[in-house]
Amino acid sequence: MTRIGQFRAWLGRDVNALLLAGALLLAAWPFFQGDPYSLRLLTLSGIYALAAIGYQFVFGHAGALSLAQGTFFGLGAYAAGILSVKAGLGFELTFPAAMAAAGLLAVIVALPVLRLESHYFALATLGVGQVVLLVAVNWESVTGGANGIAGVAKVSLFGLTVERGWPLMLLVWGLAGLGAWGARHFTGGMAGPKFALMREQPMAAEACGIDIRRLRFTAFLMSALYGGAAGALQVHTVRVVSPEVLEFPIMVSLLAITVIGGRTSIAGAILGAVLLVHLPEWFRPLEKYYLMSYGAALLATILVAPWGLMGALRMARQRWLPEPALPLPAPLPLSISATQDTLEIQRLVRHFGGVRAVDGIDLTVASGEALGIVGANGSGKSTLINLIAGAEKPDAGSIHWADGRIDGMPPAAIAQAGIARTFQSLKLVDAMSVLDNVSAGDRMGVDRRSAHGKAVELLGQLGLADVAWLPCGSLPPGLRRRAELARALIAGPSLLLLDEPAAGLTGEERVSLADTLSRLNRDGMTLAVVEHDLDFLTRFASRLVCLDGGRIIADGSPELVRDDPAVIAAWLGSPPVEACDG
Amino acid sequence: MELLQLVINGIALGAGYALVALGFVLVLNATSAVNFAQGDLVVAGGFMGVALAGLAPLPGIALLPFAMILMAAVGLIVSVLAYWPLRDRPPVSVFISTIALGIIIQNGLNGIFGAEPRVAPAMFGTGRFEFGGLALSHQSLAIMLVAALLIGGVHLLLGRTQLGRMLRATAQDSDIAAALGIPVGAMVALTFALAAALAGAAGLLLANQFFVTPADGGNFIVKAYIAVVIGGWGRIGGALAGAMLVALFETVVAAWFDYAVATGLLYAALLVILFVRPEGLFGEAAGRRA
Repeated sequence: MTRIGQFRAWLGRDVNALLLAGALLLAAWPFFQGDPYSLRLLTLSGIYALAAIGYQFVFGHAGALSLAQGTFFGLGAYAAGILSVKAGLGFELTFPAAMAAAGLLAVIVALPVLRLESHYFALATLGVGQVVLLVAVNWESVTGGANGIAGVAKVSLFGLTVERGWPLMLLVWGLAGLGAWGARHFTGGMAGPKFALMREQPMAAEACGIDIRRLRFTAFLMSALYGGAAGALQVHTVRVVSPEVLEFPIMVSLLAITVIGGRTSIAGAILGAVLLVHLPEWFRPLEKYYLMSYGAALLATILVAPWGLMGALRMARQRWLPEPALPLPAPLPLSISATQDTLEIQRLVRHFGGVRAVDGIDLTVASGEALGIVGANGSGKSTLINLIAGAEKPDAGSIHWADGRIDGMPPAAIAQAGIARTFQSLKLVDAMSVLDNVSAGDRMGVDRRSAHGKAVELLGQLGLADVAWLPCGSLPPGLRRRAELARALIAGPSLLLLDEPAAGLTGEERVSLADTLSRLNRDGMTLAVVEHDLDFLTRFASRLVCLDGGRIIADGSPELVRDDPAVIAAWLGSPPVEACDG
Repeated sequence: MELLQLVINGIALGAGYALVALGFVLVLNATSAVNFAQGDLVVAGGFMGVALAGLAPLPGIALLPFAMILMAAVGLIVSVLAYWPLRDRPPVSVFISTIALGIIIQNGLNGIFGAEPRVAPAMFGTGRFEFGGLALSHQSLAIMLVAALLIGGVHLLLGRTQLGRMLRATAQDSDIAAALGIPVGAMVALTFALAAALAGAAGLLLANQFFVTPADGGNFIVKAYIAVVIGGWGRIGGALAGAMLVALFETVVAAWFDYAVATGLLYAALLVILFVRPEGLFGEAAGRRA
């Protein structure tokens, strides 16, 4: 590689290092302009950066529009302020107490609030904030009511006072840096692609064994802890606390910082915080209208740079300094667990209103079997797959897998028991690379290297190595289907459920997919494949069942089922519908 | 008797809230998006009344049509700035863009009028009817009548006119509406204009008894949001009923305790409803929308 190429690769890989340099440059700014006011603005920027990095967990990574981040911030400020003034505690105690207070509130409200869908979640978190604000205004004996509490001590650590100006600014940015490091640890590695999968394709995330509820809860809790920490810093910096810290403008500032900087980029949160704290200063000449600049900046960003300044920077880099295709990581061997587990379905029923989609199915799939499931559209095939995978709950009947009963279990738990699936309509993260999409399915893999290694091995087997770095959305359907298959395979399932894997594939692609499935089956993987294409199925299936009206009407060897008069009447008799409903 | 008086007061407030919620839900149905600036548009309507009264000292009822027309124009601007460029993005983008627009409106009004409470002219004048120990101010009665007329007008517009059918078709399924040759973009812009005009009317109506300050928008949007959630996301009738419930709750509970407790209990009630019946008291119409 030439020296320029090396430089470009470094740029491509480590744009964050560049940003770090930028941040350092920014930090050097007060050296040139070290008056107390500039230092104070920079201190406040650090405080908001910390709160915004926290907000990214829930809003950016988990993709939930929480309007409670300002509340966590304000609650932290109140907790630290009250403990400082009324109990005379030092920062070493008020800081963790503020985090604990915000964290406790998050835990309390998580149960009713976290399961809500987007707009309800936004309103509910707003409601939580209003309740806390009202408590702060009305519980005068503790909070000082509408006037709040003045005389909060300076930051003091074990009796040592951290003076305003340089020392406080460095402490704040030190803690913000620590917070950034923690956030990088929590959202870096394989967590990024997993969050993206959960955000964009929650059903697929669950099918990959990702416990969405837990992840959402963790993100919400983390955002609260960061918010509380920032609030404690704020109250010891401005030395008073009043209901203003709980009001909506703080929340709006944090939202604006995150949107303008970039929703998932730590550097973006820092950049956004520095910009938005200084923005009103730059617009002082507008006098009483200067606060409009906040709204204008937010509106302009959402219109022209929806992924924030960091997103815009990244796009500009891709355009002007295109990333050289990085070499693929070395492949790592996959483990296929060839267990002796059997799937046993008894009297399974699922209604949708008056429609009996699955109407009393008994089916046993032995270990190592390759089962094809056929039937007309609406005969209950996809519902059956969804019931096994836990995406639907049965109305009656049972499903046993290995030693336990799995019907009614959440999809993530079923995936963790060794059952993987693909979807009839593809559920991939279009903006993410094939490599990351596949790696996101590796629920065991924690570090990027092992997940990528396994993914590369699978991409090689499935003929996707050449497109590993391309975003999934840019691929033709055939390759996307294979990417989804690779994602299902990466965790090494014992039972693989495929819902119309050949839909949208060319004849040649079908043959190659059938060969792959046949090989997986020989290696010990149990298959259950829904398909319309009989020629495709007969290439690897050892047994077929045909569904009609939610019941099994034929079960046996492919030849037997194909020639069964009931099957011909119910399915083959009608014009076959192929490959157009994927 | 005291309770009855409170109910009367609550209905007058609820009539104002209903106009706000109606605008909110119309935009929600047409765009699947939350218009978070709706509360600030109410405030803008209130100040529109204050400003118009400064130009021409007429009773509120004479200013109302002008205020609504001007607010409709503001609504068009909202749709052009905060909705149209984001129509193909996830609904959360519009949520954020309308928050941004709300900030601009609020601080713009703050710059023009200042932060002090202002009063808009009464609809017909001051005074009250009294009967059997109950009092009903002329303004309260005017709020109820005007709100009823406007809601009835919207009902007729949507139900009986070709334009209304086109608006409803757009709200139901904009792709199919577009395929049928309905100018979806114009319909959405019109919905925003209608919503802003309704918000403006509510602002003018409420800014007499309750005053208006630039920071009031948050209160109105939250009340409308709550009304639409408990009424069933996307249901027009539900939103109106929800607005009435919110206002009655607020008025009656505030009389027993105080306003802060009433608001706190309202949010607590909302959280309980969301937990027990996430689809609202009357069921959800819009499905999983943002």
